[in-house]
Amino acid sequence: MRKWYEEIDQSYRNVVSSKVRLARNLEEYVFPSRLSEKDGREMVDRLCKGLEELNGHEGCSYETVNLETVGELDRRDMKERRLISTAILNKKAPMAMLVSETEDVSLVFNGTDHIRIQVLTPGLHLSEAWKKASQLDDFINARFAYAFDEKYGYLTTYPTNVGTGMKASVIVHLPSLSLGKKFSSMITDMGRFGVTIKGVNGEGRENYGALYEISNQKTMGQPEWELADLVSKAAIQLDDQENQVRAMARKSHRLEWEDEVYKSYGVLKYARRLSMKDAMTFLSQLMAGSADGLIHFAEPCSVYRMMLGIQTASLQKKSHKPLDRAELDVARAEYLREMLPELS
Amino acid sequence: MLCERCKIREANIQYTEVINGVKTDHHFCAQCAREMDFGQYSALFEGEFPFAQFLSALLGGESPARKSEKYQQIVCPSCGMTYQEFVDNSSFGCADCYNVFDVLIRDNIKQLQGSDCHKGKRPVYQNPAAAGEGGGESPGDGGESAGAVSEGGRLQASAEEQIRVLERKLKEALRLEEYETAALCRDQIRALKEGMRTDA
Ligand SMILES: [Zn+2]
Ligand SMILES: [Zn+2]
Repeated sequence: MRKWYEEIDQSYRNVVSSKVRLARNLEEYVFPSRLSEKDGREMVDRLCKGLEELNGHEGCSYETVNLETVGELDRRDMKERRLISTAILNKKAPMAMLVSETEDVSLVFNGTDHIRIQVLTPGLHLSEAWKKASQLDDFINARFAYAFDEKYGYLTTYPTNVGTGMKASVIVHLPSLSLGKKFSSMITDMGRFGVTIKGVNGEGRENYGALYEISNQKTMGQPEWELADLVSKAAIQLDDQENQVRAMARKSHRLEWEDEVYKSYGVLKYARRLSMKDAMTFLSQLMAGSADGLIHFAEPCSVYRMMLGIQTASLQKKSHKPLDRAELDVARAEYLREMLPELS
Repeated sequence: MLCERCKIREANIQYTEVINGVKTDHHFCAQCAREMDFGQYSALFEGEFPFAQFLSALLGGESPARKSEKYQQIVCPSCGMTYQEFVDNSSFGCADCYNVFDVLIRDNIKQLQGSDCHKGKRPVYQNPAAAGEGGGESPGDGGESAGAVSEGGRLQASAEEQIRVLERKLKEALRLEEYETAALCRDQIRALKEGMRTDA
């Protein structure tokens, strides 16, 4: 079955994906950081068993992954695909994940909080993602009582998640806007609207690929739909501004612009070695060129999927052995030659 | 604004230093902040995103050293977390921590979240005992009612409530001749009462 990130959704040209994550804790256990191994194991087992009925619910089937015994490389691979967070990459404790076939829905047990519900979609669909996450939330809550406070709302390990426990985020592709002088002040300004923007792959000019994640800054004091709406609005605004900048550039420098896109395709399609920086930079050009209709693939192709595929753990998993930097560059180029469709 | 250390990356962490009552603002990028030594607060940069703001919330205003000295002896009876550990890790040990440390942290949470009152979804299927008086409300779109109670009264009540809970625990501990637990409860009650006096 195709993964969620293989689907293409161009309702907004530069919006790559949406995510809603809910942090929940059970009433009867202390939070994961204070939970004994024995209690942790008991809780994870109870959650896995108690939620067995989730399989087949709404026509969705889930796989159970024992995160405790899974290897380090697998964890990093799952982290690259955004299934688990950096915070639990090295955590040693009983942990499990229920993940749907397309990887759009996942539940992590005993990570940073007892339960983290996550829904991912391609394109801009925060309200749908929230609805889905909320239904799963009810499904779980019908079987397990939550730690909830009349004043503070859903209680979480970190005070930065308390209240709704919700983080709504959208990944946008801003290759042109991010080059502008005003971009850094624009990012700062976004704070005033209650959203945070950060580079997905690094900070400032080191954010190769020009993907940015917009998310709600606060989790308390506003209902979920309002928080999600703030993020959606910011994403739409940035998408629009990126389009304007690119349209201007296409008008005044059409040839140079096309040339860049086709050169990027050529390098990605034929190179024998590609560093992460180069691969991400050329994929970014290709992503923009394809979204703007300057270049056409012979078959549908998710550039974002390739951006995930060229990450280190993903390549190492594919080759079934550890790779050094030089070998990674070769494997990256190989992967891209194989994945990139012909042009039409 | 550029990071004052590397002068390359955008500064997205504000660090408010309070020395002898003089406040100085510093601006760093996340990378530099991670490389620098903030002593006990360094752990904050290892975790998830917006600890930066929480950090400045903790350090701004009242000096944390003075504050924690007064509250050091408060321990969460359910998970054993001390106030100092809470400050060090910037995380809670269990649901009861919110109640136990409420008086100490409500300003920080308000500063961090811009609010100290949840609005939005409520658990649909919660066991009735835990839901309290608000349990009859329709789920999902509730929330407005929570803000109706006058803020001061509500918060004060919760401090008193903690003391009531602790007093019950103290009685029970004495009955079971668990004198260590009893002593702990007594200390906590004392600290809370003192906190209420100085807060008022
Ligand atoms: Zn710096
Ligand atoms: Zn506790």
